[in-house]
Amino acid sequence: MKPGIITAEELARLVTEWARAGAVYAPVRVRDWTEFRRISSLGEADFSRINTKLPVRSLLFPQCETMFRFKTDEPGRVEEPPEPEPQVILGVRPCDAAGIALLDKFFSGQGETDTYYQRRREKTMLIGLACNSPADTCFCTAVLGSPSGTRGLDLLLTDLGGRYLAEGDIAEVCRRFGIGSPSLAEAGDADLARKKELADKAAATITQQIDTGKLKQLLDAADNHPVWEELSLPCVNCAACTFVCPTCHCFDITDETRKGSGARIRVWDTCQSCIYSQHASGHNPRATPASRFRNRTMDKFRYTVDMIGEVSCVGCGRCGVECPAGIDIRETVETLFAALGTKQTKDAVQKAEGKTGKQQ
Amino acid sequence: MSTSDTSAASFEPKIVAFLCNWCSYAGADLAGISRIQYPPSIRVIRVPCSGRVDPFYILKALLFGADGVLVSGCHPGDCHYLTGNYVARRRFAVLNDLLDFAGIDQGRVSFSWVSAAEGERFAEVVREVTEKVRQLGPNHKLVKQECG
Amino acid sequence: MSREDQLRKRARDLLAAREVVMVIGYRAGRRPGTTVPAFITRPEDTDKLIFNDRCGANLTAYLPRIPKTAKVAIVAKGCDSRSIVALLKEKQVERSKLVILGVGCEGIKVDGQLSDSCTTCGYPNPVIFDEMVGETRDMTETSDVSDRVPDPLADLESLSPDERWHSLMEDVARCIRCYACRQVCPNCYCPTCFVDTNNPQWVGKTTAGSDNMLFHLMRAMHMAGRCVECGTCHRACPMGIDLMKFNRKVARIVRDRFGTVAGIDPDEPPALAAFDPNDRQEFIK
Repeated sequence: MKPGIITAEELARLVTEWARAGAVYAPVRVRDWTEFRRISSLGEADFSRINTKLPVRSLLFPQCETMFRFKTDEPGRVEEPPEPEPQVILGVRPCDAAGIALLDKFFSGQGETDTYYQRRREKTMLIGLACNSPADTCFCTAVLGSPSGTRGLDLLLTDLGGRYLAEGDIAEVCRRFGIGSPSLAEAGDADLARKKELADKAAATITQQIDTGKLKQLLDAADNHPVWEELSLPCVNCAACTFVCPTCHCFDITDETRKGSGARIRVWDTCQSCIYSQHASGHNPRATPASRFRNRTMDKFRYTVDMIGEVSCVGCGRCGVECPAGIDIRETVETLFAALGTKQTKDAVQKAEGKTGKQQ
Repeated sequence: MSTSDTSAASFEPKIVAFLCNWCSYAGADLAGISRIQYPPSIRVIRVPCSGRVDPFYILKALLFGADGVLVSGCHPGDCHYLTGNYVARRRFAVLNDLLDFAGIDQGRVSFSWVSAAEGERFAEVVREVTEKVRQLGPNHKLVKQECG
Repeated sequence: MSREDQLRKRARDLLAAREVVMVIGYRAGRRPGTTVPAFITRPEDTDKLIFNDRCGANLTAYLPRIPKTAKVAIVAKGCDSRSIVALLKEKQVERSKLVILGVGCEGIKVDGQLSDSCTTCGYPNPVIFDEMVGETRDMTETSDVSDRVPDPLADLESLSPDERWHSLMEDVARCIRCYACRQVCPNCYCPTCFVDTNNPQWVGKTTAGSDNMLFHLMRAMHMAGRCVECGTCHRACPMGIDLMKFNRKVARIVRDRFGTVAGIDPDEPPALAAFDPNDRQEFIK
């Protein structure tokens, strides 16, 4: 499928049509940041930030979601929640989209399907916006991502200045909403060159490197290493990092019943909580902050590699921004490389440490 | 979801009353034995001491359908456990001021000291509180909501 | 010698002489302008210690995690030192196990602006310390800043009850129940917090407005007479909820009604664990 060109006006018109036929979500200004909110016109969207506060997975796997309702005097009968409507999510950054691709694997690639996630996922189209100017907290390229990556996206838009290069099948997006597809002008060589220039420049601004293969090997042998104690000391065990992470997906289930009727509700949970792995017996296999800190890092860089063959950190940088203690996962990874006794590439060491020849 | 009749003229408030066993509950009992009439608005929960009343009891009563809450204990100096009501007094003062700050109308949550000998006084307190809550109307603020 | 150099030297000396096994302070974070709590155990690492106007974490929150047998040094701004007093009152820390390195604080900045909590700070200098590092802040010894700054609660208190309710509900509607506020607070050391109990369940786990409001109201109740208004919770909140409103209100209620201020006198019991036979009871029938 050849890339097309869509002007800002054409996109605005399309958004209005989609919004009439279903739901359109886009980053919207909220106080000092942006959040995905439902919009009815493109003018409401704010693409000025690289990342929204909460990742796009909050639209597919919400913070709280009613699974079903019931009446206590009707055992075995449940009332299913209403069918989700078709939705387009506009302005998804490639890191968030890669996160959705990973969640797809977690929620339906393991033999069982999470129907609550799946019913929303099937009705969702993701339209990405390439990052022309990554933030200094971004490091997608270090974890095999890209500021212009298309993974997980139905369409990727690159802002060429008032017009967008559109890569993907826009006809399909429109078909899903039951509206006619626009015919886009084909992108010319100059447009393609400009896109490449922007993408290369964006990727070059990210200097962080992580040898994920080597990290996996090191973590495989690091269960009892004392470095986890040191790393976890500043961690306060809140849920900030997990709740803003594009790939975290742990949840708790709670029933709320009153006067004969109730609902079963799924809510986000965090492996960082002291009681996350608390057993009814009172035993807690992850009773220490070190074990919980280790769990999250291991999950991103080792356990998911074992489970689905991939690292599940997408390099969005949100955890570092929101951590109340200022913990940055890039620094965590570098400390791990240093402590677990290996050299990273000299390049990465120099950039990260600002020194030369530091013995690892 | 309050099932009380909510039309202005005949709204019958539901009021949860936490009464300390030794004084206020006995006072309420005395009112009953003396056949003193007072509005049937209160649902009594007996506690050993007003000091036992956790602010959670009060807030959850509102959350789950009460239009008002009354907490009543022994007069200061007469607490069966000596100092329970003194500590409770501080706690209730903070809660009362905090709820006012949060916009919960004053009078929805009330406190009183009623002794075991004060049957008529207990009835009077209930009449006063019921009337106040009736004026305020059903509780719409601190009501259990459902999430998405 | 600069304050940072003094701090590093003291830390180095304390560790080298084995007077303490750890120095709790701040170091630079990965991103420019950020800081991370530092737990230094070796004299040679003390060069990592810094102190600037981005050192917003209340380090006292980490003390309950330290084994009681260990003697540690801790860097303490005015508010942090009040938290130490608060924990001493509640027997959560032992005075003899602490070397308090006091610093006079010029206020914490967030994105270049003075943090809200610091605009009404009456205690920039530590109220308890073993030694001061650097100069104390030159200001009158008063906790009453009302003649110097506008009342931060005035706007809210001028609204009607309905408007106040809606304003606060709108604020707490953003809460994602990450509990960053709770976790960074030195006063929140309960092994099982009320939000984590399920038999009975006090607060629902969802982000329904009523549950969020119940969480914040009850946390404020649990802070009464204990909160030192350091603002760490406010700065920790990812969703920018104005927690200072709740904190300031309960602190003000306690001060106005009972005449006590949290974290000043270690021999004074916490306000809600004490009573005065003459406490005002105008609100009680």
